[in-house]
Amino acid sequence: MLRYARRRLLSAAVVVLAVTVATFLILHVEPGDPARAVLGEHATPTEVQALRHQWGLDASLGSQFWRYVGDIVRGDFGRSYLAQTSTTSLIRERISVTAALVGMATLFSILITLPLAALAAARKERLPDHLVRGLSVAGLGLPAFWFGIVLIEIFALRLHLLPVGGWGDSFGAHIEGLILPALTASFAIAPILIRSLRVGMIEVLDADFVATLRAKGLGELRVLGHVSRNAVLPALSLLGINIAYLIGSTVVIERVFALQGLGSLLLSSISERDFPVVQAVTLILAVGVVLINLLTDLLAARLDPRIRLE
Amino acid sequence: MTDFERTLTRQDLLRYGAVGAAAIAVGAVPRSSLAGTRALAANPKSGGTLKFARSIAPTTLDPANTIIAGDIYTLDKIFEPLFVTSPAGKLTPWLATGYTLSKDKKTYTFDLRPGVKFSDGTPLTPADVVFSLDRSRKNPKGPLSFLDFAITSTGASGASKVVVQVSEPWAPLLSDVSAFSNAIMPANFGGASEASFFAHPIGTGPFTVSGFTPNAPSLTLKRNPSYWQKGKPYLDAVTFLFVDDDNQRLLQLRGGQADLIDLVPPSQVSSLKADSNVHVLLSSSWQVDLLVLNEKDPHFADRHVRRAISQAINTSALAHAATFGTAKPGGSFFPPSLQYYSPHTKLLGHSLSAARAELAKSKYPKGFSTEVLIDGGVQKWRTFAQIIQNQLKAIGITVKIRALDHAAFEEAFQKFDYKMFIDYAINDISDPDEMASFELDYKNGGSHSYWSSYNSASVTKLVRQAQSEFDSAKRAKLYAQIQSAVAQDAPFVALDYPPYINAYSTKVNGFAVNPGGAYRLENVWLA
Repeated sequence: MLRYARRRLLSAAVVVLAVTVATFLILHVEPGDPARAVLGEHATPTEVQALRHQWGLDASLGSQFWRYVGDIVRGDFGRSYLAQTSTTSLIRERISVTAALVGMATLFSILITLPLAALAAARKERLPDHLVRGLSVAGLGLPAFWFGIVLIEIFALRLHLLPVGGWGDSFGAHIEGLILPALTASFAIAPILIRSLRVGMIEVLDADFVATLRAKGLGELRVLGHVSRNAVLPALSLLGINIAYLIGSTVVIERVFALQGLGSLLLSSISERDFPVVQAVTLILAVGVVLINLLTDLLAARLDPRIRLE
Repeated sequence: MTDFERTLTRQDLLRYGAVGAAAIAVGAVPRSSLAGTRALAANPKSGGTLKFARSIAPTTLDPANTIIAGDIYTLDKIFEPLFVTSPAGKLTPWLATGYTLSKDKKTYTFDLRPGVKFSDGTPLTPADVVFSLDRSRKNPKGPLSFLDFAITSTGASGASKVVVQVSEPWAPLLSDVSAFSNAIMPANFGGASEASFFAHPIGTGPFTVSGFTPNAPSLTLKRNPSYWQKGKPYLDAVTFLFVDDDNQRLLQLRGGQADLIDLVPPSQVSSLKADSNVHVLLSSSWQVDLLVLNEKDPHFADRHVRRAISQAINTSALAHAATFGTAKPGGSFFPPSLQYYSPHTKLLGHSLSAARAELAKSKYPKGFSTEVLIDGGVQKWRTFAQIIQNQLKAIGITVKIRALDHAAFEEAFQKFDYKMFIDYAINDISDPDEMASFELDYKNGGSHSYWSSYNSASVTKLVRQAQSEFDSAKRAKLYAQIQSAVAQDAPFVALDYPPYINAYSTKVNGFAVNPGGAYRLENVWLA
């Protein structure tokens, strides 16, 4: 297990490094000058040059990169050009929003997936199965964005149960504000999970040990319990991949629901070429994605010894 | 709208003209008429918190170091200048009650308003004004410090006067002083460090902030109890909610989460007007959208080509289709809300036959191929570009559209790496000299005539003459001449004049926006 973990950790580090290099290169090769963005169109070339010098943007690309890497190693993400404050403090305020959104969306996805997949598998090729499968196909086909609008229309504008958007200013308000965006996000990934878990469960249901369980006279619910433990593995790695996808899609969801998380910070920083912020946020999102994948891999290995030995 | 790109300067507030299918005629709503009459209709009520959903969160409250919309429209509630521009576009004495001008027109003596206090209770003194003006004008990184270039010295005189010397007679000075960048703060930050001062700012404005964090999801400003206008502000507090998605802002207004929103997409104006719980306010701006022609390109160095393009473009059709009738069609390069705009400008007008005849006189009688550069993140510019592409085809000019993202777009045209580009131009203050010299004074204006490279000795002479002309009738004449000359030479084509569009719940009263896009909230009250 330890060897397996070490190997996975090493490849995760390579991925993070590659993302760091790629972000840096794309930002610096792409035209668009942060000094111009900050100084406005009345600035003279001399003023723009002076600011570029102050920010070290006139140094060679290589030396800028080494300084950037050196700073990261020391835990220093630099200062935002726009907010004139440390990037770390900007991110600290926002990371909890994104983390809470991803966490709640994951929870909702699991809560939606487990009963529906079990129902479909247990009633294979009968009405409940067709309904669940039909719903998940529909869910895959419709954009998550559209669900968001429908949810807002029903729960916020008509029933006045939840806010239209925003983060609120108390713990209770944060939770209320997260429900609709988290539901929207989970609708985007639950269909895939349901389909995968359903197939897995059906396969396991055909296995010999299930026949034995049934022969022992176990009730159908308890049989499903045994089945899901065995069927959950493929769904688990899919969930891992989808949480990674979820982290990426927060960029859109945060905007639609007016949540000031990392995604919305990333968007605004890109358009004004706020290099330190873009670099830091991308790196953090990449580390998040890699960590989630690592965790699911390790969890899968823990659940299934065969994976460790591969 | 798909403008994921979040643009930032206050000018950019206007870039977000959305575009869609059906056009509607909003007609000419007299600016501020809604807000004005409604405020008078009942006695203002004190109390309550206004929830204002805005597109951009502030990153700093330092007036001298920003040009970003989210910053400006927050800090101007906390800090005030000597003069302000009213919603009708007029300069109004504010922290100064008036001024006297020396005979040689080079010394201004401002009288400070008696009884003005900062929000911590200390009285406003001439030293505070001197400190603030000097800090702003001497700031090498100040995006608007160029406005103060004429000032050579500032000084206190007695207990209530401030003396400002200028290098030459300079007619726009009062306007320059009214810029938000010249707002007044306590001398030496009242003893605090610069960083801690702007985290806990102290100003003379109607509202205060108890602790500022850049880029927070919301910001609450509280009533300044020692505000110099007795009984104001009416509101106890204003909470700005920062919502960059246009649709989400509209939903927050409909859901009652916000009382007031900014940057309403023009495509939504007609449906909002049908909602009896909502008021829509269109306020004229000092903005004009321009098609700029690069005279470094041989095609556009030819005056006949430029004139032909100006005649081929039908600005009425363009404004109608692309802005749902919310914007006025372009004519003069001065927006109609700007001082000294001339309705009698000798325009070339739209006529395809005239355009063809003009092109026939050029070196390219059969037309040519060219391209137009736009900021591709803004749907409005895409629509403009497509319409212009179509209209120019009629006279044999084939246009390719080159769309870049915001930062790359700005870099490209500022390096003259373009043939034609579409963008807005805006005056930051009430005096038109800013626009006139920035767009026409090739040598001194700072942008080589808005990156068009247009260089007319006669026009430049008129622009400089107007800077030192204090007689407003004579100045009006000079600017009328300038506007006609520009219309005839066509270094750029004025496409439209877009308004600021706000929407608010019917319980909001007294809200008005000046042509610079600023709104003072001390007059706002909740029914």
